[in-house]
Amino acid sequence: MDPVLVAENVVKRYGDAAALAGVSLSVDEGEVFALVGPNGAGKTTLVRCLTGTTTPDDGEVRLLGTDPTVARKQRVGLLPQEFSPPDRLTAGELVGYYAGLYDDPRDPETVLREVGLDPEDDTWYGDLSGGQKRRACVAAALVNGPDVLFLDEPTTAVDPAGRRALWSVFEDLAAGGTTILLTTHDMAEAERLADRVALLADGDVAATGTPSELVAAHGGPTRLVVETDADDLPGFEPERTAEGLVFPDVAPEDIGDIVAALDDAGVDFEALSWREPTLEDAYLELAGDVEHAGLDSALEVRR
Amino acid sequence: MSRARRIAAEATGTYRTFIRRRTAVFFTFFFPVLLIVIFAGLVRTQSGSGGLFSEPTGYYVPAYLATVVLFTPLSRVGSTVARHREGNRFEKLATTPLTRAEWLAAHTLVNVALIAAASAVLLVALKLTGAEFALSPWLAFFVPVASVVFCGIGAVLGSVADGQDGAIAMSNGVALPLLFLSETFVQPELFPAWFLPVVDLSPLAYFARGVRAATYSGGDVVTNATVLAVLAVVAFAFGAILIPWTE
Repeated sequence: MDPVLVAENVVKRYGDAAALAGVSLSVDEGEVFALVGPNGAGKTTLVRCLTGTTTPDDGEVRLLGTDPTVARKQRVGLLPQEFSPPDRLTAGELVGYYAGLYDDPRDPETVLREVGLDPEDDTWYGDLSGGQKRRACVAAALVNGPDVLFLDEPTTAVDPAGRRALWSVFEDLAAGGTTILLTTHDMAEAERLADRVALLADGDVAATGTPSELVAAHGGPTRLVVETDADDLPGFEPERTAEGLVFPDVAPEDIGDIVAALDDAGVDFEALSWREPTLEDAYLELAGDVEHAGLDSALEVRR
Repeated sequence: MSRARRIAAEATGTYRTFIRRRTAVFFTFFFPVLLIVIFAGLVRTQSGSGGLFSEPTGYYVPAYLATVVLFTPLSRVGSTVARHREGNRFEKLATTPLTRAEWLAAHTLVNVALIAAASAVLLVALKLTGAEFALSPWLAFFVPVASVVFCGIGAVLGSVADGQDGAIAMSNGVALPLLFLSETFVQPELFPAWFLPVVDLSPLAYFARGVRAATYSGGDVVTNATVLAVLAVVAFAFGAILIPWTE
């Protein structure tokens, strides 16, 4: 089966700067493919090349087996980044407007309910909250029942509950066979939704794989951090860091042995945390970003 | 039918958006009335005195109509194109079956309807001030066709401007000279002879000459109507082609 989306050595320059420097990737039918990468990595430019809204300077792109500019637009949905639709329409009118551009659209009211908006709400788009606006825009991207859906940072400015609601919508679409290409800065989003992830950096693909493959290859080891003033623990080889004693590659079942060793050695500690590597670790490793602050802890125990 | 459906959807959205902008609605209809109050009510024409406003009020009917036929589409379509580009709306529309020409057709339809309504208000106001002119059926040709011309030019300006402010400034920069140098408020005999060929370059001159011939002075309506119709096709085509649908 031919891939739904193909980019082969795609180059796009803006002046002297190369937004894309020879990107190649393909997305199969029914696949959810996430593009992640730092700001300016070329994610939106690649989406624009694949949707035919910009023309590559070199290389080839195919959408549904053909040039994106002549692909059947009834089958394509797009949520652009920083999209600002008419602000004096209600969400129902807005989605109805986009429905009117297609031959056989879905029922706008049904789509609005799917994204968690009330079709009867007469609030103008401009007066909706940031999260409601993004949901209305998602609804506008879904109203033609697309086979291929491009979502450029779909949950930006959406609160956690709203984000999870939209994730459920996207998961339902994927389960129904819709091919989805999404860009995101939210690694949890990519990890949850994507079958495969590509990291773009400096206009090129730095790595591609399933989330678990990327974590295994680039996420680093598990870490047990013991917040203590001690410099060592007999029988172990922890690393002394500003966080405390760090024990790499510790399996959950081995934590008890270390706690027992700490007690046996009379080492006093404030807290103990253990975490597995995540896609964010893999991203930071690949993107060369050393800011590991704010990472989630899978397990934390405080005394 | 798909094409008609798409144009209707775009036009409906555009109309709703416009009608809910109270200031835009107010000034679209208030601006021409304000001009009539100033020129026909306060300044008043001085028939036979020579110089500016020396013709009877009926002579200036094309000029008053030009204020809405020219300014409304130039500024509205120009700023709308810029706003669509800034909000990535064209990027979205480019992935739908809607085409550039359909988009411009929809916005032109809405503008023609608004301009027709504003023109009707203006003509009634002129009649109420005692202006003598004929309500020629040709008005139903010249007003919409001239509106198409300036919707097309507005789309061109919006496409080349670097933002909404730029589009509005450009539309004013184009509209003001056109308004006064197109045989509207200023009679051609007041221009130096060398300048008269320049007047022929203005689309608004053919509107003014045609409307004046049809409603006031008599003369060749058909030639001016034909030139204006050709200009409408050309302006619409250029406008549609230049709309920044894609990067």
